[in-house]
Amino acid sequence: MTAVEKRVVVNKIILALSTLSAVIAIAFLFWILGVLVMKGVDALNWNIFIFEGAPPGYEDSGLKHALVGQVILITLATVIGVPLGILAGTYLSEYGKNSKLAHFIRDISDIMMSAPSIVIGAFVYAIVVMPMGHFSAWAGAIALAIIMIPIILRTTDDMLQLVPGTLREAAFALGAPKYKVIMDVVYRGAKAGILTGVLLGIARVGGETAPLLFTSFNDNFFTTDLNAAMPSLTVTMFNYAISPYEDWQQLGWAAAFILSMFILGLNIMGRLILFAGKRK
Amino acid sequence: MASIIDIKDECALHVRDFEFTYKGAEAPSLKKVTMPIAKNSITALIGPSGCGKTTLLRSFNRMHDLYPGNIYNGEIEFEGRNILSSKEDLIHLRTKIGMIFQKPTAFPMSIFDNIAYGMRLQGLKNKTELADRVEQALKDAALWKEVSDRLKNDANGLSGGQQQRLCIARAIAVEPEVLLFDEPTSALDPISTQGIEKLVIELKDRVSIIIVTHNMQQAARVSDYTGFMYLGELIELGHTEELFVTPKEKLTQEYITGKFG
Amino acid sequence: MIDKIFSNLTRFSALLVLFIVAWIFTELYNQSLESIHAFGFDFITKDEWAPNLDKFGAYAAIFGSVASTFLAMLFAIPVAIGVAIFLSEIAHDKIKGFFGVSVELLAAIPSVIYGMWGLFYFVPIIRDIFGGMGIGLLSAGIVLAIMILPFMAAVTRDAMNTTPDILKESAYALGGTQWDVIKDVIIPYARAGIIGSIILALGRAIGETMAVTFVMGNVHHTPSSITDPTTSIPVTLANEFTEADSSLYFSSLFGLALTLLIMSFMVIAVAKFYFLRKERRGS
Repeated sequence: MTAVEKRVVVNKIILALSTLSAVIAIAFLFWILGVLVMKGVDALNWNIFIFEGAPPGYEDSGLKHALVGQVILITLATVIGVPLGILAGTYLSEYGKNSKLAHFIRDISDIMMSAPSIVIGAFVYAIVVMPMGHFSAWAGAIALAIIMIPIILRTTDDMLQLVPGTLREAAFALGAPKYKVIMDVVYRGAKAGILTGVLLGIARVGGETAPLLFTSFNDNFFTTDLNAAMPSLTVTMFNYAISPYEDWQQLGWAAAFILSMFILGLNIMGRLILFAGKRK
Repeated sequence: MASIIDIKDECALHVRDFEFTYKGAEAPSLKKVTMPIAKNSITALIGPSGCGKTTLLRSFNRMHDLYPGNIYNGEIEFEGRNILSSKEDLIHLRTKIGMIFQKPTAFPMSIFDNIAYGMRLQGLKNKTELADRVEQALKDAALWKEVSDRLKNDANGLSGGQQQRLCIARAIAVEPEVLLFDEPTSALDPISTQGIEKLVIELKDRVSIIIVTHNMQQAARVSDYTGFMYLGELIELGHTEELFVTPKEKLTQEYITGKFG
Repeated sequence: MIDKIFSNLTRFSALLVLFIVAWIFTELYNQSLESIHAFGFDFITKDEWAPNLDKFGAYAAIFGSVASTFLAMLFAIPVAIGVAIFLSEIAHDKIKGFFGVSVELLAAIPSVIYGMWGLFYFVPIIRDIFGGMGIGLLSAGIVLAIMILPFMAAVTRDAMNTTPDILKESAYALGGTQWDVIKDVIIPYARAGIIGSIILALGRAIGETMAVTFVMGNVHHTPSSITDPTTSIPVTLANEFTEADSSLYFSSLFGLALTLLIMSFMVIAVAKFYFLRKERRGS
């Protein structure tokens, strides 16, 4: 075989292997998604939304408590994390720009985005749960917010930087003070991108279990008391799935299905908004 | 309709009724182009942006095939066969028809490895022969004196003009029949440009050259034949001097006198 | 006036990020002091985790974290690179879109679901092939690999896509095949980005909790074989944090958390500072 022929053969082999890898990856995706949909849809029924948690074997048990709890935790985390994240991102893009401090903050924030979420849970345990003496929704929300902030910071920073400098200059030239330039021109110009960042941030923390394990802990019953342990879909899912009770396991799959749909929905929405924004 | 001179010398390539449509486009970008390319001479392609000169150039070495979905019609004859046929061995074709790009494209490797790359692809392993041919190629590209003592250095350390000459050396090292130049000096300063133009003229004894250029003066300085294209058609092809001094087509005249860019 | 308030507000928020990071380190350190004083270096080197005896040597957990991550990398890296090559060089537009979206979908699935799927569907298979309980280092490594695969494939593909088109075309123009272009042009050009992406994925994998907790077991001993149940730092934290009953126990758990934080922080920082240098555009 000539050298050229050999190269062509090697090329074909590599391309085949790469295609095989892609097929393997997709196979796992379909396997996992398939299982999720099958078991989830199977376990879905209206009871889930009507009844709160109950001991295994009970007729009337559902996930109402966990669903509401998840919403409470996510909402609280969003209220804490999003404004801080956006403001911090604004500082980086509009004030700090290319300074050493700004670069350092960006780097540290990026590193935090990949840091283990369970460690954040331990941290919040130390600074919130231990002083309070008990688990609480506040602790869970703070943990989620800490995870959310670097994500929002990064997307806000990136999106704001995309707004052309000439737009800002035009506003300044009309005599606007800096904060007005930012709020009226820059924010508006990056609206779609920032919103997408927020949605993706929510999607990311909405699926977190580890940081809640010892901050908001869990509860089998419906509650809206922010000062006490708060049930969440993720921790409930974990507890139920790992339990030896079949009906609890069923509920676990139903929870998994609902959570996944919610997160996938947020992801899709986020990308649609970005796509629509780009079209303009 | 178009004024295309009859090339009495041997042709390196012959384009016949060539039509090219980009993927998803409604109309063809090249409309039935017929054009002979003379051997061992320099043919320049000029015309306003979007006239199809680069599209035509990239068809000669089937570069468009990297982006599937384009449609070829017609024929490009080279070495007695139609290279547009689906049976054409593209790897072999590209060792016969080489290309230099708009920006210098030194590979992320040493100077030596860059020049040797094409030869290694063809299976040449003998170290002495490689070294000899690398040296010869660098000499032919007027780069040897400047780099002979640092062949192992990364090619990206060279200046823009040097890198482009490196790319030329790399292309001629595989001893092609034809060299395609796609606006080779558009990213270079005037002095480097001069160097490249001089080099191109020297090379025509060994290869046939087609050069696409935005710069009419460059075409006038360098080429033997010039083809003027407009909106996907070859309007006129003639000896460079004649085309610039006494163009036969009105459009050519207007372009040359700057009535449109 | 408002201008001042606004700008200070933004600066405060940005600095808050740094402050929180510093606080995390110091708080975890303070909480671990008791165990550091009690055990010193033995904490990391001894495979002796006995809560009822108040003895805590975390070697098993650390080993479990490192070993499961190593296994995961072994499986994930070749497949991720293959997927990246497929996405950037082989796939036609429609397929590219489909696979691209699928990869992003996979990355969005919460890790707890990977864990559930792993426990109910994958572990039985391992049990059938290798015997034993099915949960253990091998299952954890594979589930972790599947989890980290989408992220690694996506960032590797992004790194490869930074290669300029005309550089690739130059190699094709000399008669190169796709593999020639990938190995001689794309990979050298994007080498820093590719390595950085892999290291970044490694940093993430090391801190992964939920996917692994379901399938690792909860046995606080270094395993004698790859199919033995064992533990890792996040798994230990997840399982034992709420059961700790003595201050030494708690302090040791915080010590574990600190160890994990330092490990993953260092790995990710290496990726970021050495390999993933990104040029920032100015406003």
